[in-house]
Amino acid sequence: MPLLKIDGKEFEVESGTTVLQVAKANGIEIPHYCYHPALEIVGSCRMCLVQVEGMPKLQVSCNTFVSDVSSDRKVDGKYDMVVHTQNDLVVQERKNMLEFLLLNHPLDCPVCDQAGECYLQDYSFKFGNAHSRFEENKRVRPNESLGSQIVINHNRCIMCSRCVRFTQEISGTSELFVEARGYNSKIAVLEDNPLDNLLAGNVADICPVGALLSTDYIHKNRIWNLKKQPSVCQDCSVGCNVDVFSQTDQILRLTARENLDVNGYFMCDIGRYGFHRYEEIDRVLQPMVRKGDSFESVDWETAIKITVDLIKKNKSKAAGIVSPFHTNESNFLLGQIFKDVLGSLPPITGEEITYPSGFRISADRSPNARGMNDICEGVVEDLASEIETQGIRTLFILDDGIDRELDDKWKKIIGEMDSVIV
Amino acid sequence: MNTFKPVLTEYIDQKDCHTLPFYKSIGGYTALEKVLTMNPDEVTQEVKDSNLRGRGGAGFSTGMKWGFIPKDSNKAKYLINNADESEPGTFKDRLLMNKAPHQMLEGMIIAAYAIGCHTSFIYIRGEFYQEYKLLEQTIAEAYDNNILGQNILGSNYSLDVVIHRGAGAYICGEETGLLESLEGKRGWPRNKPPFPAIEGYRQSPTIVNNVETLSCLPHIINRGASWFKSVGPEKGPGPRLFCVSGCVNNPGVFEEPMGVSLKDLIFDRAGGIPDDKQLKAVFPGGSSSAILTANEAMDVMMDFEELVEKGSMLGSAGIIVMDETVDMVQACLNIARFYAHESCGQCTPCREGTSWLVMMLTRLINGGGKPGDIDMLLEITDNIGGLIDFSKGSFGKTICPFGEAVAWPVRSFVEKFKGEFMKYLPQEKVVA
Repeated sequence: MPLLKIDGKEFEVESGTTVLQVAKANGIEIPHYCYHPALEIVGSCRMCLVQVEGMPKLQVSCNTFVSDVSSDRKVDGKYDMVVHTQNDLVVQERKNMLEFLLLNHPLDCPVCDQAGECYLQDYSFKFGNAHSRFEENKRVRPNESLGSQIVINHNRCIMCSRCVRFTQEISGTSELFVEARGYNSKIAVLEDNPLDNLLAGNVADICPVGALLSTDYIHKNRIWNLKKQPSVCQDCSVGCNVDVFSQTDQILRLTARENLDVNGYFMCDIGRYGFHRYEEIDRVLQPMVRKGDSFESVDWETAIKITVDLIKKNKSKAAGIVSPFHTNESNFLLGQIFKDVLGSLPPITGEEITYPSGFRISADRSPNARGMNDICEGVVEDLASEIETQGIRTLFILDDGIDRELDDKWKKIIGEMDSVIV
Repeated sequence: MNTFKPVLTEYIDQKDCHTLPFYKSIGGYTALEKVLTMNPDEVTQEVKDSNLRGRGGAGFSTGMKWGFIPKDSNKAKYLINNADESEPGTFKDRLLMNKAPHQMLEGMIIAAYAIGCHTSFIYIRGEFYQEYKLLEQTIAEAYDNNILGQNILGSNYSLDVVIHRGAGAYICGEETGLLESLEGKRGWPRNKPPFPAIEGYRQSPTIVNNVETLSCLPHIINRGASWFKSVGPEKGPGPRLFCVSGCVNNPGVFEEPMGVSLKDLIFDRAGGIPDDKQLKAVFPGGSSSAILTANEAMDVMMDFEELVEKGSMLGSAGIIVMDETVDMVQACLNIARFYAHESCGQCTPCREGTSWLVMMLTRLINGGGKPGDIDMLLEITDNIGGLIDFSKGSFGKTICPFGEAVAWPVRSFVEKFKGEFMKYLPQEKVVA
């Protein structure tokens, strides 16, 4: 295995690893924009330049691969490569590169959604110059919609081309491209092929600056006001890892959280914007008992007593309805009570979509069907006919907050029950 | 005064010199016949021995480049004829295509044979429409006469040649930009390594050679490597087409041995400067090369090594002559504007820096200059293309050599004619 030295530290690495990968994995910060672990290497932002001993030019660390060299070419008799990421040359070069990147940047951080999680801000703070030498007019372009959910602020764009590569390599839909040349280059779409695929929201996530914005979140809040909570997406059985950003119990946005075993770095827009259904649902905030045509609020103690009585009285003719939208714990507990007849409402399904990169949206649009089936023994497949053959008169439904359009058969079944506990 | 007998352009004044019958009448395709009886490695060795160096600009050894093709690869090999001649001040390939297209095609077939290629491309500059139509005829003639296609001249070797027209970008003459363009993508140069000889067109081993380079090959085969090496300096020998333009009485393409003096080219072949004006500066190798002052230009041989020693390069041998009337700041802006327009925009320093140079120079010319501007121009060029001084360690910061191609000439203008730049700065008012 090649022996690499970065800033005096030794690393034994797999042949074919890049310097940037080794640095990232070992807490050595090399600033970069265009490099993204899921995308092809282009080496175009030039931010990650480092000095490699024996090479006359500074090298982009994202595209510098470490491999075994013959013994006569080893540095100090043992290193296959020696890299400097902190010397004067590299430090100066970062300043130069940031100066170029900021020439035409509007510096509108006070009104930019990316502020607080922006690599242009962070790297300028850490590596950049405190003042600008640019005295000419900045390049100014109006914002444009790239699709129904994504807006681009061209003035903030640094042309790292992550978004273009995303649509080429991950979604395979290739809506985005670079238009024009040089100073006039900009990210564009064709009018008749807007960025409206189900993975489109990811381009806002992977944009290292505030150029690509989700219309769903634009100007809603400041990122430092939000609480970030790791979670798992609720909208299909893939279970993309996500971060939920909220403020005072209101969810403001979801972003994908890296998990290479599940979703890589991405998530789909069904899941990304799925949280809005919680805003629309008229939640039941306290227990209620039906009295004729209306409901009457009761306290929890009363409600639990009524429930227990109902279940005890009708145990042999009662069935539990677990839900693939619930946690294993809830389903397990209900399963303990209703061992004889246990089932679930008709599943929520959609089209199964697989992208060229392997990213998948499952046909099963519930998060935990497998957990539910594994944890609750004897979940019947056809609950409706089971209810009929066993003459069930009481249903205990675990409410999962899903706005289902129940078909007539189910409306009839529920309507004919003696009692329904939700 | 001129005793050198042209090699590549010997017959360009003859009627119908572009046709196959004419080319055959002067011994055309005999080199190919000879090559087809040789082992491909022998052909490569002959070219290596000749010390032929690329005529496109970089001046890399042609035989050595061919030698990088992996021997054990099962992939198809490709030869690409780079006919995207776009360097300002360079117009030699166009002449060769117009007047001696079969010479170039014979060179292509020889090169293709040597590297084991069976499909070859001519990537021709989009603006060369007339040349494109002519090459179509040339190739049709070749197919009709079993010079291209299956079993060339009765041998076991087969080759197809496809012409691909560029769409007007200078950067597509850079070999990896060319490959991207040929693959139907945006002409954005690739990171190297891998070099095209390992992974080029469609990830297959690919050799990209210039029109003039290829045109030399039939002569190397016919007259031998040692003859070629005897023409001019041994390290970079051979006949070379020099394009002289700008402030001269008789601009044009002149074939001379490598190592000819620049003075002879300007004052003898190109007829000197109109109205006996004084020479001020010269681009020796296209607009990407650092300019030489009159003094430097009067004392330089057109040779790879010598021009590097003088802080410039032979490049594409496009000599642009500037006389005493030329405003060096305006000329510098002109060059900077060209590069800003042609920057592909892929990597940061070139995309942002070239336009910054243009804006600064424009402001300077319009009277808005500030005292620090001139030093800043130098700093910006260094930040785009790096210093020419190898000992400083930092040079070349972009994916392709375009960064250097803009930084070097602009830096040389500012360094060598600083006084003219200073004159554009607003003069301080003299207090009475």
